[in-house]
Amino acid sequence: MKKLSWLILSVVLPVLAGAQDIKIPPEVEKLSAKAKETVEVTMDGPMLRWASKFLSADDPEEKKCAQLVANLKGIYVRSYEFEDEGGYTQAEVEALRSQMRGPGWRRVVGVRERDGDNVDVFFRLENEKMAGIVVIAAEPKELTFVNIVGPIELDQLADLGGEFGVPKLDPKSLPQAQKGDRK
Amino acid sequence: MTVNDDNRMEDALRDALCRREAPEGFAERVLARVEKRSFSRRADLHLGSWLGMFRQPLLRWTALAAVSTALIVGGIEYRQLQREPAEGEVAKQQLILALRIASSKLQLAKSKVQHSQDQNENQEEKE
Repeated sequence: MKKLSWLILSVVLPVLAGAQDIKIPPEVEKLSAKAKETVEVTMDGPMLRWASKFLSADDPEEKKCAQLVANLKGIYVRSYEFEDEGGYTQAEVEALRSQMRGPGWRRVVGVRERDGDNVDVFFRLENEKMAGIVVIAAEPKELTFVNIVGPIELDQLADLGGEFGVPKLDPKSLPQAQKGDRK
Repeated sequence: MTVNDDNRMEDALRDALCRREAPEGFAERVLARVEKRSFSRRADLHLGSWLGMFRQPLLRWTALAAVSTALIVGGIEYRQLQREPAEGEVAKQQLILALRIASSKLQLAKSKVQHSQDQNENQEEKE
């Protein structure tokens, strides 16, 4: 009986862990003390809905923005800009990346450049539908982590670009990564 | 005292003590006044019993606490309602900022992928 309980736990716990929200590791949160400029946005479902009430329906951009966040469960952003290079370590970036190794996550973009620009884009899939996206951009003087939780269609995702003066992102240009693709 | 004086006094007494009919409607007016007085006393007694309830210290303090709580809660709610638009504007700006950052980093990813693809194509052409 004991063996059966352990077996059930060993199967159920990883599934639950995969279902849990992504946490910002404490060592990453501490980077704000060293950063020249920090942006921290933490918006869960109720907060998103409340904030989107203040988006104007008359402004076409804000209207699109409200439609985009309507089905989201949360937006979490941490962006740290440093005076010089080496403001963060690879261990801190790895602490963020390692959370997307659970089931349900698929890396669609993984860029490693010699000059230090490393970008990862992960999609969270539930029943082959988009349920979230994580972007980790590790640049020489900047570390950015974006976690958007909730069902987003690719065209909605593309609508993130094109607004606010940023050129539109073409979802077709994103490479179709294989399941479990790791570098 | 003379006999005439006695007669005058006797006449005056007889006149004063003789039976006279009450003016018309006198009885109704008296009854109406009695009724009005008794209603007013009953109302006083009723109000007195309600106010008398607050003579008990426990009830008095409970009522005071209830009124104070209502005032505090009302005040907080009112202040919250006044502050909401300003806080909502801050939240909206935060939301837009978060979307801007997400958008710009996705664009960065896209440009890196594009750049890498272009480099590969150039290399293949050279080969």
